[in-house]
Amino acid sequence: MVRLIDPSLKKLSFALSEMGTLDIKIMSLATESFVVGTNTSSEALKISDMISKKYFEVGNLTFEILLKYQPVAQDFRFTRSSIEISYDFLRFGRYAYDITLIRDSFGDLRRCVRTHLNDSFVLVERMVKDAILSFATLNLDKARHIQEQEAMVDIIYRERMLSLINSKDTKCAMAEALVLRYLERIADHALFMSDSVNYIITGEHRGRPPIRKV
Amino acid sequence: MTYTDRQQKRAEIRAMFKSNVRRRLWVDKIVVGTVIVCALMAIIPLIWILGTAVYSGVPALNWEFLTGKPGAVGAGQISIGPAIQGTVIIIALTSLIGLPIGIMGGIYLSEYGGNSRFAKQIRFFMDVFMQVPSIVLGIFAFLAIVLTLGYYTVWAGAIALSFIMFPIVARSTEEALRMVPWTYREAGAALGLSKMVITLRIVLSQAKKGILTGVLLSISRVGGETAPLIMTILGSNIFFSGFDSSTDALPLRIWRLSLQPYDEARIAGWGAALTLVIIIFAIHLGVRYFFLRDKSGKGLRGVLRG
Amino acid sequence: MSTVMTDRSATITTIDKPQTRYKMRTENINIYYGKTHAVQDLTLAFPEKSVTALIGPSGCGKTTYLRCLNRMHDMTPDAKVEGRVLLDGADLYDKRIDPIYHRRKVGMVFQKPNPFPTMSIYDNVVAGVKLNGVRNKDILDEIVEDCLNMAYLWEEVKDILKKPAMELSGGQQQRLCIARALAIQPEVLLMDEPASALDPIATQKIEETIEELKKDYCIIIVTHNMQQAVRCSDYTGFMYLGKLVEHGKTKQVFERPVDKLTAKYVQGQFG
Repeated sequence: MVRLIDPSLKKLSFALSEMGTLDIKIMSLATESFVVGTNTSSEALKISDMISKKYFEVGNLTFEILLKYQPVAQDFRFTRSSIEISYDFLRFGRYAYDITLIRDSFGDLRRCVRTHLNDSFVLVERMVKDAILSFATLNLDKARHIQEQEAMVDIIYRERMLSLINSKDTKCAMAEALVLRYLERIADHALFMSDSVNYIITGEHRGRPPIRKV
Repeated sequence: MTYTDRQQKRAEIRAMFKSNVRRRLWVDKIVVGTVIVCALMAIIPLIWILGTAVYSGVPALNWEFLTGKPGAVGAGQISIGPAIQGTVIIIALTSLIGLPIGIMGGIYLSEYGGNSRFAKQIRFFMDVFMQVPSIVLGIFAFLAIVLTLGYYTVWAGAIALSFIMFPIVARSTEEALRMVPWTYREAGAALGLSKMVITLRIVLSQAKKGILTGVLLSISRVGGETAPLIMTILGSNIFFSGFDSSTDALPLRIWRLSLQPYDEARIAGWGAALTLVIIIFAIHLGVRYFFLRDKSGKGLRGVLRG
Repeated sequence: MSTVMTDRSATITTIDKPQTRYKMRTENINIYYGKTHAVQDLTLAFPEKSVTALIGPSGCGKTTYLRCLNRMHDMTPDAKVEGRVLLDGADLYDKRIDPIYHRRKVGMVFQKPNPFPTMSIYDNVVAGVKLNGVRNKDILDEIVEDCLNMAYLWEEVKDILKKPAMELSGGQQQRLCIARALAIQPEVLLMDEPASALDPIATQKIEETIEELKKDYCIIIVTHNMQQAVRCSDYTGFMYLGKLVEHGKTKQVFERPVDKLTAKYVQGQFG
């Protein structure tokens, strides 16, 4: 049975999936700027702008749905989470652009890319993909998996920070610290997203993990 | 069905409409005309009767005619004083017996009896009662009361007439009570009122109009009955002289006068008939004014309208 | 509006305390209409000073159930009620007690406004009190003002109290009926779709009234309008085919219903 609310919900899902596609693209641009060494900042800026436009579009849509149809139960949870998820998407784009900016101002940093940084890039990019997928398919297992991945990113971040304090290569150390910081934020938002997915499905918030000291 | 298909279909249906509109307008006019003519035909006899009564009866009306005793025919003035008095008495006594029984019976049927066997039987007997020829009721009262007591009495007449009255009142009360929406009884019950209070204070007040109509109808019926009176109050030439002697009544007097071959009797008969009509009309107006004036708030005009 | 909001949150927090006191409860209620088993084995409790909404598709038995809470089924010959309805622990269906005693404690407002048409506004409000034997004019005056105030109607009718009740608008009539129900000083108020025949503004006024009355009464409201249930109830029961499918805090029932059927119904996928 098609309900009055359904077309609007469809439109909302579509806008969110577009955001997801853009985020995957901008994430790979960020990775590329370090691993391959190309300066992608101008392209990333364009995509980041598109994402923020979409963010406002989703905002308008959610309020229209809330006011027009007064959704309840899963419809309500989906609509409500859309606001949070679109914000996560917005942050993904923003941090990815920030990463490309480091490449832009520091120059080619390929020599600084060591295993840890490489691993982090791969891991976070996969997390973002997983988060988007878990939302697109409303898959609870994928959402749960993200929690473990996030913990790993955290560990890398903390260990690398300690070792970077004593690094002689200031340029690389600074760049790596900044990038790791951004990646850690992205991973955090992926976690928030998985939590939203969990809320859409079960109706309950998992509760945010405690704030960790750096 | 595609959009154009639908458009086409609609156009076809609209085309079907147009062709018979003219004819339907004509049929409509004919039906309305017939209905109006029928309504007029129902009213004409009524106006005719009233007109004749007024036309023929007014010459007879004067103070002496209305208040005096009837003298011997041919010896001058014929008067209907005792007949008027008798009619008023008999209507009052009949109402005294018939109305409480009728209204209570109606309340029982509507509020308490429901569809029980007993209620159904009562309803059946009431309907039968309404069909019984009034002369039969007169004979019954004659056998049961006049012969037992050994004298004609106004009570016998009142009882015979109350048999006509209470089925009408009971059934119309029942109908009027049933017309009151159930929700008001529920509202009353939800206020913690007893059934008797709900019936008497809430339901009955809403059914007032319907009940009054039934009551007035029965009074008119009773006021005009002749047959049951012949054998119960007999008729008399003197004013009311007690419950153990015969009494006069307008229908009886009219009947008697109509049997006489004299012109002055004929005129007096019309006068009596007009008086009866006026009495009944006065009762209607009086009762309606008394019971309905508060609600309508429009004085006599509201009462007349209904 | 803001005061209403704070009031509500304050009430919710008090309800959230574990020692919720139940004003009324029903145990294993079965209602039969002739051969139809209209309500099946329904057990439910209504906390004090709160609003419980009963929702469900047409014909699910919610009105039938509501009417058993003040023995309204006694009025219909072929209805039969089994089970217990406890008001402060006393059984309403105790054979030795006349339903009148309980009906005075359980007020009811019906779906369609039904003020007594032959009475004035004033007489309508005090109908229950007056016909139950209270004659003191001062007390009656006081009741009229008090109850009309509680029903948010006083300001609109204070100058026309002697006018026939039928001259009021539909929404005013319904609020008059609420005042009439309150006049008998009930402890529980049953409302059978009180706003279904009203326009949005009248509906809003009725809902404000409910919000206000909640402070003193246990209110049970049957409604078709789910948004209304969300707006003015603390607890919600979802009924389907004569059974209670889900019951809980309104927020929970509407945000994350436990039962699939409830979720489908509240999301408008059937019903």
